[in-house]
Amino acid sequence: MTTDHDAVRELLAAWAFGALEPADEKTIPPHLATCETCAREAERLRAVVRMLEGPAPAASASDGSPSEARPPASAPLEGPTSTVLARALRHRAAAPAVAPHAAPYAAAVSGLKALLSEADGRWGTPVVHDWDVHATVAHLLAADEPLAAELGAGTGRPPSGIEEGTPWDAAWNRRTAEVIAHERGRPPGETVAAWSAQAAALLSAPEARDAQSAARAVTLMGLRLPVADHFLVRAFETWIHADDIGRALGLAVPPPPEEHLRHLIRLAVRILGAALGPTAPPVLFSVTGGPEWVLGSDAEPVRAELALDPVDFCLLVGGRYPPQEVPRGAAGDESAVRNVLERAASLAWL
Amino acid sequence: MVPVEQAGVGADAELHRRLVYGDESALAEVYTAYGGLVRRVAVRVTRSAAAAEDVAQEVFAQLWSRPYAFDPRRGSLRTWLSLLAHRRAVDWVRSEARHRKAARADDSALHAIPEPGPGPDETVVDRERSLLLHSALAELPQPQREVVHLAYFAGRTYRQAAVELGIPEGTAKTRLRTALRTLAESLADPPDPALERGA
Repeated sequence: MTTDHDAVRELLAAWAFGALEPADEKTIPPHLATCETCAREAERLRAVVRMLEGPAPAASASDGSPSEARPPASAPLEGPTSTVLARALRHRAAAPAVAPHAAPYAAAVSGLKALLSEADGRWGTPVVHDWDVHATVAHLLAADEPLAAELGAGTGRPPSGIEEGTPWDAAWNRRTAEVIAHERGRPPGETVAAWSAQAAALLSAPEARDAQSAARAVTLMGLRLPVADHFLVRAFETWIHADDIGRALGLAVPPPPEEHLRHLIRLAVRILGAALGPTAPPVLFSVTGGPEWVLGSDAEPVRAELALDPVDFCLLVGGRYPPQEVPRGAAGDESAVRNVLERAASLAWL
Repeated sequence: MVPVEQAGVGADAELHRRLVYGDESALAEVYTAYGGLVRRVAVRVTRSAAAAEDVAQEVFAQLWSRPYAFDPRRGSLRTWLSLLAHRRAVDWVRSEARHRKAARADDSALHAIPEPGPGPDETVVDRERSLLLHSALAELPQPQREVVHLAYFAGRTYRQAAVELGIPEGTAKTRLRTALRTLAESLADPPDPALERGA
């Protein structure tokens, strides 16, 4: 009986909570009937659970309604969903409903805002380059600016003193430095509000709501793309920087929703294909669970195959993975594979 | 068992991802799945449907507006919501007790020694003892609190709780036991922070 006694003793708390396995239900009562020690302990523990329950329903009369006292544990308590959701949405708006090409940006903005509500007191945490959290948001404010200006969604930021005719990358580097310097002089909350207001203006532009008006091509930051794709580029950069900030703050930023990720990858592959040019040794490229593309020359047989995880591919293109370190599945001509990886990493997109 | 567990972790991570990216349909799904549990926990502590409603609103508003407070790598959404609902419900009762005490502060009748025997005074004692226990429960180390929540509020057996938490069955039993003994001791030696603070 010793084994039985020990086994029952171990289970007494589970018994008191009503958390036994059905099979155990049979072994406890007979033992309690014969073992005084266990019976005492069982009664003591059960008494605690009863006290946790509080006064019996009949005696509970906080506001006289018997229905609200002690519902059975299994009874589903229905409540008005709309009230709960409405209150939640008052605290944080949902990502705005926009056309599919702008939805990834809307989501990325919503996700970064959520992340930044964890940054209080940690704005000075180093993130990337020589930027802290505050400066990274200031950088995004500058990086969204060209598209905002193009769409007439500017929010009256101090104009840039950069002369006309400056090459786009030099102009861009100066502008981002300028904006960061300006923002450093303000509290982080104001920088977030400015970035957030500009993002909201972008998302309420007609080009965010309507695919047709987003079809015109414009050149921004050296890339000539339809406005729809520029929205994807904004989504990509916003997510990658949110990921940077998350790493800095020790919070795991989930990758964008599958459908958005697919949009981002299609665009990145197109840009990578263009960067490789029509004469590069052809490589059959795929992302896990996604389609395949032949990158490089289509005039010769495929030299190699390369498969990457979707998120890893984005991190590579975003400059967050050295080409030699990205986890990959590869077969065939190694130099052809290396060429693709190095070119992807050198897109220096962000 | 293992695939179910993994599916649970995957489903939580997917919901979390959608919450982070501002997809309100994910919040509606979480509410459909766990609204009942959250209210059940809250009503057990507060004894009031109106208070439980308020606690539930607060809990889901917090999940939605601060999605990064929940980390799917560190535990299940079910347990996280249950713990949060419990803590909020205990806070609600504490603040209600403070108000009640303040309102009755100059009611001299209340300072009379309560009559023994059943009656409203006994109910008050029961309620205070229940609150004391719930306060002690809210202070337990998280690993113990998680098992208690699954067993007591979510109606899991100790074996199901062990699977959900990814711990051995024996550990689940031990944690339940340690938790319940600590609660029993808190009655024997009541520091009663809730009521002290109300003074």
